[in-house]
Amino acid sequence: MQNVYTVGQVNSYIKNMFAQDFLLQELSVKGEISNCKYHSSGHIYFTLKDNKGTIACVMFAGNRAGLNFRMAEGMQVVVRGTIDVYERDGKYQLYAKTIEQDGAGALYERFERLKKELEEQGMFAPEYKKPIPKYIRTLGVVTAPTGAAVRDIINITSRRNPYVQILLYPAAVQGDGAAASIVRGIKMLEKKQVDVMIVGRGGGSIEDLWAFNEEIVAQAVFDCSVPVISAVGHETDTTIIDYVADLRAPTPSAAAELAVYDAALALSGLEGIRLSMLRKLQGRIRLERASLKALEAELKKNSPMGRIRERRSNLISLEDGLNAAMRNRITKDRHRLAIYIEKLKGLSPLDKLNQGYSYVADEGGRTVTDINRVAVGDALSIYVKNGIIHTRVMDKRLMDGTKKEC
Amino acid sequence: MEEEKLNLEEAFQKLEETVEALEQEDISLEQSFQIYKEGMELLKKCNQAIDQVEKKVLVLNEDGESHEF
Repeated sequence: MQNVYTVGQVNSYIKNMFAQDFLLQELSVKGEISNCKYHSSGHIYFTLKDNKGTIACVMFAGNRAGLNFRMAEGMQVVVRGTIDVYERDGKYQLYAKTIEQDGAGALYERFERLKKELEEQGMFAPEYKKPIPKYIRTLGVVTAPTGAAVRDIINITSRRNPYVQILLYPAAVQGDGAAASIVRGIKMLEKKQVDVMIVGRGGGSIEDLWAFNEEIVAQAVFDCSVPVISAVGHETDTTIIDYVADLRAPTPSAAAELAVYDAALALSGLEGIRLSMLRKLQGRIRLERASLKALEAELKKNSPMGRIRERRSNLISLEDGLNAAMRNRITKDRHRLAIYIEKLKGLSPLDKLNQGYSYVADEGGRTVTDINRVAVGDALSIYVKNGIIHTRVMDKRLMDGTKKEC
Repeated sequence: MEEEKLNLEEAFQKLEETVEALEQEDISLEQSFQIYKEGMELLKKCNQAIDQVEKKVLVLNEDGESHEF
């Protein structure tokens, strides 16, 4: 005969078995909510069901912090808690510690809802975006004090511009209180009047990045008077603050590149400007010198000295011309004279004497050309080539008009 | 008194304008010397504004006090 047990013993035994089971102490169960009752005591009673069955659940008022939404019939949830036996009814129940909406789908839904809500409020509007100052002196950083994100930001900043002051607010970026911690960081850095701030963290799951999807963080970024660059996760991760921030950087490294100007580049830019200014001024001076020289030449060309010289040389050439004309004239006249001399020579009576002619003059020296002018007995002189013959008229005879010789 | 904190962005802009102004031929030589002098002073201020002293990272605590990282 087997032992007989009381109901209480059996239930107690089963309860003890449950209590010794490791899995039942802490497990997550997913299912759809039904028969949900918010009791006035603060406890919540509901049933989780799926197509295979149901399980009774209770969340005591003391665990309400583990629930951040209002449960409704038909919702898919994941309940984390302990399974224990309720001896009085001989039933086992799931005692919930946290209840979350199920899966990425629920988170995504929350994300989309908040995004839509904030967008409608105008928090993403481009007219609210503040320009990121190009040349900053202090950079605020809100992120975890350990990890790749802060290291990348510090490395890139000190490489590009070691003269920029980094002010780090070491924030909790995931888990309980992360959103509030990020909000405190943003407010404190705003108070410290940094020129620009980077708010972000390295990569992680959607749950890890969730704090950056919280409305209070979005609101703090929106309200911040200092320009904010968001830098959450990797290029492909997008969070709500990416939409609210004044500038979205794909990664923390990229955020540092965007926030911090390259000091070497800026300094060489200044040097370039200095050289350019110098060249321009020197060019200007050269130009002025050249035009001065041109003016000087112009002035010299128009100076009275020049005119005097010019007139003097004019005068000289005129004088030369005059002399030449004169000489010319004299030569010509000489030539003409020679011609006359030759001509006269041909007409000379003496020449005729040379050819056997002679002429006769009376005692008065007058040439005798008329028979009537001489009388017999007159003395006459006959001129021949080489002398004079004195003679007397012995006879004369008149001949009529005809000339025998010329 | 002139503004203590020089805005480098504006200064760069102004320097570009200075270079352009120096290219103009319709300003007098005296003016161009004046512009050059102002440009050189601005350059000097820019160099100072970059304040080439290496900075240490400061970490803030909850009270807003800072200490070195």
